[in-house]
Amino acid sequence: MAEKKKQLGDRIIEIYDLRKHFGHVEAVNGVTLHVNRGEVVVIIGPSGSGKSTLLRCINHLETPTSGQIIIDGVDITAKGVDINALRAEIGIVFQQFNLFPHLTALENITLAQRVVRKRRREEAERIAHELLAKVGIPEKADAYPDQLSGGQQQRVAIARALAMQPKIMLFDEPTSALDPEMIKEVLDVMLELAREGMTMLVVSHEMGFARAAADRMILMDEGVIVEETTPEELFTAPKHERTKQFLSKILH
Amino acid sequence: MTELTSATPELGKAKKERISLADVPWWVVIIILIGIYVTFAVLSNERYIEAFRFILPGVKITMQVTVLAYALALVIGLIAGLMRVSKNPVLYALSTLYVEIIRGLPMLVILLYAGYVISPAIRDATHRAITFSDLQEGIIGLAIGYGAYLAEVYRAGIESIHRGQMEAARSLGMTYMQAMRYVILPQAIRRILPPLGNDFIAMLKDSSLIALLAIPDLLQMGRLFVSRTFRAFEGYNSVALLYLVMTLFLSLLVRTIERRWSVG
Repeated sequence: MAEKKKQLGDRIIEIYDLRKHFGHVEAVNGVTLHVNRGEVVVIIGPSGSGKSTLLRCINHLETPTSGQIIIDGVDITAKGVDINALRAEIGIVFQQFNLFPHLTALENITLAQRVVRKRRREEAERIAHELLAKVGIPEKADAYPDQLSGGQQQRVAIARALAMQPKIMLFDEPTSALDPEMIKEVLDVMLELAREGMTMLVVSHEMGFARAAADRMILMDEGVIVEETTPEELFTAPKHERTKQFLSKILH
Repeated sequence: MTELTSATPELGKAKKERISLADVPWWVVIIILIGIYVTFAVLSNERYIEAFRFILPGVKITMQVTVLAYALALVIGLIAGLMRVSKNPVLYALSTLYVEIIRGLPMLVILLYAGYVISPAIRDATHRAITFSDLQEGIIGLAIGYGAYLAEVYRAGIESIHRGQMEAARSLGMTYMQAMRYVILPQAIRRILPPLGNDFIAMLKDSSLIALLAIPDLLQMGRLFVSRTFRAFEGYNSVALLYLVMTLFLSLLVRTIERRWSVG
């Protein structure tokens, strides 16, 4: 039904044989993955399958044990890479929002703009107000995080990441900590972003979102990619036994 | 009708009073009563007036030393505390060495060390280019001593902030120090205000140890008064009273701050 043929750009993320071990635990165990500019990739898989670790390696919150990650032509696993400059180009949204509780919504969004991007206060605040309007809560600029609902907090967190004008947005289970009635308001913002052509890697089990926005679905298990396909195929004709098992558990 | 209206408010009043009776900080009331009595006794007693006149300049020195030493200790503690949470093994080892050594020594020993070992050593090594006055020796000794305790307070405060805060800040492109300055420390300092306040009071009391370096602080002036007049009773009563006035005032202040922050 929904014709979502979109023109994808060149490769923006290239991951080669990525491994991340925590002691004896092999969280990510040899992942090779390419993502094109403007593509939306949804990653699913059981807990402990390495989805979040993969995401966190991409912006270097975790240092890979081995393998190579190339972001927009820059090898971020090479020595001497300015990791801070790289991170400013990659937004990440966490399950637990991680807003700064001592700052208002507006200040949450302006802080990194001013400190990292060196924007003047007026400019940073203008951008912050625009983004708050975009995520649907322009009236919450002066609210502190503990005065906001979970859904509102997560939308501020998305606005905070977008304020850096990132090339890539990572979402690490963005709706898992939310009450059911707040999930939609966050997913709507993410859908809007996907439509605008943002490159997105999303760890989520929101199948409605995956159906509507994903260009590609990836199923991970035990640190490796088990299946890589389109959402249509995944839901209608999953190839691997592991995929069928997993889907039967999460779809009701 | 009149009975009813007059009975109801009284009932409410009695109920209210019963609750607030337990809430009254009785220790404050008792201290205020003692304070009033002592003030009377002192003001009507020639000997006490004499003792107070003699000792009072020492209060200024005690306050001065405490404020300066504490300010310096806050800076030393912050630096050492940041080193204690650093992943750099050299910084971590150095700060841990400092904290463990200083916390293992009595404050009096640290002060004597600052006054009679380190200060002369620096003076001789620099051929008198750098010399410290007695007062400076006392301030530096107290600051080094308390810096170690404050370092641990800072460390605990920083570690109490959820890991996600640092991750969120770093993922926006901030450096480690920027994340510390704008995200972690503002939250940590709010949490450690009560222990910082208590350490300030503790330092006010420990500042009496600088009397051993012949600095004319509150205690030293009291001792001088006693050795000149042989009136130990009036002399040390005055000293104790003056310390109490300062520490009680400060502890009320700390409580107020604590309450205000815990509400916010």
